[in-house]
Amino acid sequence: MSQAFSNNNNSFNIATTFNYTAPDDEAKILAWLSPLEPWVRHRDIGVDRVDGIGAWLLETEEFRRWHNASREDEFNHSTLFCGGNPGVGKSYIM
Amino acid sequence: MLIDCNNSSLVIDKLCDEAGEGDTAAMCFYFDFAARSQQSPVNVLGSLLRQFVSGLRKIPEMIVQDFQKQRKGIGGRGLQVSGIMKMFQAITTTNRTFICVDALDECVPEDRMIILESLRQILHGSPNTRLFMTGRPQVRSEVEKRLDGAATFISIQPTEDGVIRYLQDKLRKDTTPEIMSGTLEAEIMKTIPDMNSETYVEMNARERLP
Repeated sequence: MSQAFSNNNNSFNIATTFNYTAPDDEAKILAWLSPLEPWVRHRDIGVDRVDGIGAWLLETEEFRRWHNASREDEFNHSTLFCGGNPGVGKSYIM
Repeated sequence: MLIDCNNSSLVIDKLCDEAGEGDTAAMCFYFDFAARSQQSPVNVLGSLLRQFVSGLRKIPEMIVQDFQKQRKGIGGRGLQVSGIMKMFQAITTTNRTFICVDALDECVPEDRMIILESLRQILHGSPNTRLFMTGRPQVRSEVEKRLDGAATFISIQPTEDGVIRYLQDKLRKDTTPEIMSGTLEAEIMKTIPDMNSETYVEMNARERLP
């Protein structure tokens, strides 16, 4: 359905009304992009997490630099990798 | 934000706090060795794109058109990494975007190479994107190499304060409080934090076993 209307992007002031994707199609497109649902694991982790554990990380220079890096810093500070043995709580820290 | 902020992990929680200040998008992915057959590069990168797209007011026309095109093919043409990267590049915005990836070491090495290379491309193409990853120390050199040295490393170890908070939480949620005496509780709170971190980690890992 959306394709039928897609050429109407610039037609009058109701363009946005025409250029829509049916809710049914929207769900299909999202499922087509990936069948995986990482938010399920994310929710489980959130439920189990104990407040305050690992908060030291947010105070480190490395975290602040990564988090606040401006466009000028760009690529050099774009990634923060937290390494640790199994069971130290890395998933809860993320 | 594109993910659930009500129940969240530490860093994502921090990102959620700031989401109100402007347009911030966060996406996450959790690798799991037991699910490795489903966690192919195309599914993983597609999942990040899916989360990003879900947060937009409408699905970008380019993605809708690609979807329509593949539907016309016999049996439907599956997505490929190159197609997902093309879509990622097309919808790159000036908003701050955070990609969080957990347990990188649990990804199949061949797939990890493709995923890291794709993430590198995303970072290069979008200066406002930040990548947060966790994993065992042995994947560090791989991350360093694949991301052109753009990664900063932090070592995660249990702290005494963290262990105490964890124990307090466990004791508070004890389902058999009637057999817990004050003496036993005091002993737990004294003995376990005194153990060295490796012993603690081993106990923690055992506790998570079914």
